Amino acid sequence: MAIERMKIVSIIGKLTDIDKVSRLIVINGSTHILNAFSELNSNNLNLSASQKHMQTLQELAHIKPYISKRDFSKDEGIIRLFMDLFNLKPEIREDYLCVGDDYENIMTELRKVHDSVRHISEGMAERTANVEKLQHYLNNVRYLRNIDLRLEEIKSLNFMNFRLLMLSNENFKKLKLNIENVPSIIFQAAALDGNTVIASITPKSLEEEAERIFISLNYKELELPQEFSGTLEDVINQINVKISNEKRQIEELKESVTELSRTYSDAVSRAFTLLELEKKAEKLKQETALGSSMFFVFGFVPESEVEGVRIELKQYFGDSIIFIADNVDDKRLGNAPPTKMKNISLFRPFESLISMYGMPSYGEKDPTPFFALSYMLMFGAMFGDLGQGLIVLLAGLFIGYRTANKSFGGILTRLGASSMIFGALYGSVFGSEELIGALLIRPMANINTMLVSAIVLGIILITISYIYSLLNHYSSKNVEEGLFGREGLTGFLFFLTLIFGIFGEVTGKLTVGIGLPLGIMVVLLLVMVFKQPLTGLLTGHRLYEDSPGDYYVEAGFGVIETVLSVASNIISFIRVGAFALNHVGLYIAFATMAEMLNSKAVGIMVLIIGNIFIIGLEGLIVFIQSLRLEYYELFSKYYSGYGVEYKPVGLFGEGDSGNEMI
Amino acid sequence: MDNITRFAAVNTKIKTMEGEFLKDEDYASLLGLESVTEVAGYLKERTAYSEVLAKVDTENIHRGMLENLIKQKMVRSIDRIIHYFTGEYKSFVKTLYAKYEIEELKVIARAVYNGKDAAAFRNNAFVGKYSRIDTNKVYEAKYIRDIIYALQGSEFYKFLIPLIDGNFSENPFRFEMVMDMSYYSILQKKWSKLEKQDIKVLEQAQGIIADLLNIQWIYRGIKFYRLSPEELLNYTISIGYRLDFNLLKALCYAKSLEEFYRIVKSTRYGFMLKDDGTTDIYMERRMERHIYFELKSMMRKNALSIISAFAFIIFLEFEVKDIISIVEAIRYKVPKDQAYKYIVRKL
Repeated sequence: MAIERMKIVSIIGKLTDIDKVSRLIVINGSTHILNAFSELNSNNLNLSASQKHMQTLQELAHIKPYISKRDFSKDEGIIRLFMDLFNLKPEIREDYLCVGDDYENIMTELRKVHDSVRHISEGMAERTANVEKLQHYLNNVRYLRNIDLRLEEIKSLNFMNFRLLMLSNENFKKLKLNIENVPSIIFQAAALDGNTVIASITPKSLEEEAERIFISLNYKELELPQEFSGTLEDVINQINVKISNEKRQIEELKESVTELSRTYSDAVSRAFTLLELEKKAEKLKQETALGSSMFFVFGFVPESEVEGVRIELKQYFGDSIIFIADNVDDKRLGNAPPTKMKNISLFRPFESLISMYGMPSYGEKDPTPFFALSYMLMFGAMFGDLGQGLIVLLAGLFIGYRTANKSFGGILTRLGASSMIFGALYGSVFGSEELIGALLIRPMANINTMLVSAIVLGIILITISYIYSLLNHYSSKNVEEGLFGREGLTGFLFFLTLIFGIFGEVTGKLTVGIGLPLGIMVVLLLVMVFKQPLTGLLTGHRLYEDSPGDYYVEAGFGVIETVLSVASNIISFIRVGAFALNHVGLYIAFATMAEMLNSKAVGIMVLIIGNIFIIGLEGLIVFIQSLRLEYYELFSKYYSGYGVEYKPVGLFGEGDSGNEMI
Repeated sequence: MDNITRFAAVNTKIKTMEGEFLKDEDYASLLGLESVTEVAGYLKERTAYSEVLAKVDTENIHRGMLENLIKQKMVRSIDRIIHYFTGEYKSFVKTLYAKYEIEELKVIARAVYNGKDAAAFRNNAFVGKYSRIDTNKVYEAKYIRDIIYALQGSEFYKFLIPLIDGNFSENPFRFEMVMDMSYYSILQKKWSKLEKQDIKVLEQAQGIIADLLNIQWIYRGIKFYRLSPEELLNYTISIGYRLDFNLLKALCYAKSLEEFYRIVKSTRYGFMLKDDGTTDIYMERRMERHIYFELKSMMRKNALSIISAFAFIIFLEFEVKDIISIVEAIRYKVPKDQAYKYIVRKL
């Protein structure tokens, strides 16, 4: 239920092992890789200067980046050709993964048969193209049927040229409107979508002139077969015979493919998996630093995984590899550790809503538990209904089960459950308050109670936010903000004083008069104004970081904002109560409409539509309003969200580590 | 969606961006400058073009580079308006990119045909903006045919197929004509999906532009090119506003230039032709100014319509053209009192 602790891991090995080590890291899939150069620049390698490490330390003096960029496109082409031919799905199979150099062996084998396979595939492509061309002939010849011309006569014309052309309708129109100036006889043979097929007969002596006109109409020539003879029907028959001929040959080729596939399909799938591994490993190598005989890899590994990585490395490479796992200390420079949130399954889906705002920084408290609980609480309170909640819950289960969006489904499921609980408390089923009794309260009958409890809920949530903020400031040792800041101790005290002041004034229990709390608040505001110089006094640093003038202008506005925002933050929570009322109100509107109708069946229809409407629209609004309260009212108190997501290199998921390090 | 929701925001954005257009004083100052570097410096320091020039060392800039950068500003402005549209309207406004992409592709095709290296155009602003193709293929082209293959998968391709079918030889003229004609086909297809009122506006605006282009085309065809009347007619744009097919036909079949003049004078576009021998030099500028004023008046009459976006893009184009003209005038040492005659903006 927190942010997982990370260790910074240094892996140093022999240059000859670099391929295997990087494959192992990728297969293991729990290392968030850092660029070795930036890491070496900003932090010292934590290696004792013993005899054993002497050589390694010497190597550090002249390191260079990994440059040889392997080009996999050729191999990829080969594998893809095989996969297309054998009809294989591109999938990574874990049982094919291995650290050794199997990839090259398989590829050599595949390259050997590649030529004959390519031959087959080209043969098939060629024959398919032939079939296509013959089909075109067939089509074109049939156009002649439309204009009732005899093929054998067309072919025997001595002084005329016959052509079959396709024009766009637009251009055909132009031709028609100017037909008196065209030196050809034109027949319209067919109209296809947007285009017109025409046949033209032109005297050979005028062919050039006609051609220029047709060019200006951007024609496409429809070829007529030359090698066939006889009447139209004869030609069609001949073409059909030829087509079935070609098709038979394609079938034969396919059979030879089936044979090949029996022998090689396993090797091809294996090659595909290993190629993916090779590509990822290559990416990892881009981030390494090379000495003359050693290489250096750095990365973050979650504490729980470190042992796994260590054991795997030792198993394969024994003592030839140096593996150091250091704690991440506060004085670390350069890349901040990435954040991996770790929560129980009840809260886990809400991580996606948090990362929508920003990942928690490594040192920060994981806000997920508080976020999840308060979110469910507020959603349920605003949208409390046993029946409608059930629908939301079922929808969540369905989405989580059927689509890839697991976290959204999870969120809906949990919100639905919360809504059902509140539905039982309010005694509401599909809007109706007549079916079951309320366990706790009827919102519409107790409007003031609802609104006041909403405010109280807000005060509690804001208080917890302040506590989170104090903890965060404590762990980052930020004196200025932690003690004197708006979200720090001073701000918290100001908030409490304000609450108690108002509470005392309203209930009359404040016997010392309003002056005392007001006085305290003024003092606290002054503390906030002078937070930087006060910190300076306390820690002995400089009093002002910039010019004092700028500082006080900013601080002055800060005070105004503090006063305004404390009040508005609290009042903001009134919406939790208001939406609970609104929810009932909407149903009442539909219920009234249903009653006004004479027919009972139509009335039930209206109620059903009303419920759909309420679930869809109100559900969405409440979802957004709760999110708004979280992001704006609460997160602004304690959450920065500047962290970097933990993205280990691995075969699954993006694993795009390294890119964002630059 | 009603017109207020559709256009209120984008037209406001356009209004503010129109405020970024160069002022008349800017034109005057630019015309008075001595070198390309000074123009680049002025644009960088004093105008909205700083957006694209900020990171550029204007001391070592040359003409081609400056042109591409200025066009880049046009791209950014157009991209900004595209964001405000959705659905068919978005796809229509994107189509307006096609015109400029076609212009650039035509230049590249011509260069490739003359044996020049297409890679020199690598910084072109518009190539790929509409067609969404892999632009590298265009810049690696050795023949016009390569450019056509590069356009595979784009909407232009189906118009270009006849050029690579059969045994046609490389022919930049055909490429240019087919590309131009394809633009109007695509444009028409796209705007036919808009609301009736917007179609009407576009038919008028684009129709007037087509009229002007048709007259220019036929004029040049008769005077300079050796094309038959049939070919001239086939290459006209068929979406004219005031000139119908029969009139275009009469123009194409005019027996002489005098007859051609006589027919044009009988239309509203007589201003394009003058008897004092300035026709060839100023025809283009006259057309552009006419377009400018026609669009301005249409914008006033159709405040909430597609015309604002349409006209804005054309005005952007005019400004870019003007800057390029000014730079050329400086480069070829045309005196200031002559140079201003070649620009669209009326000073």
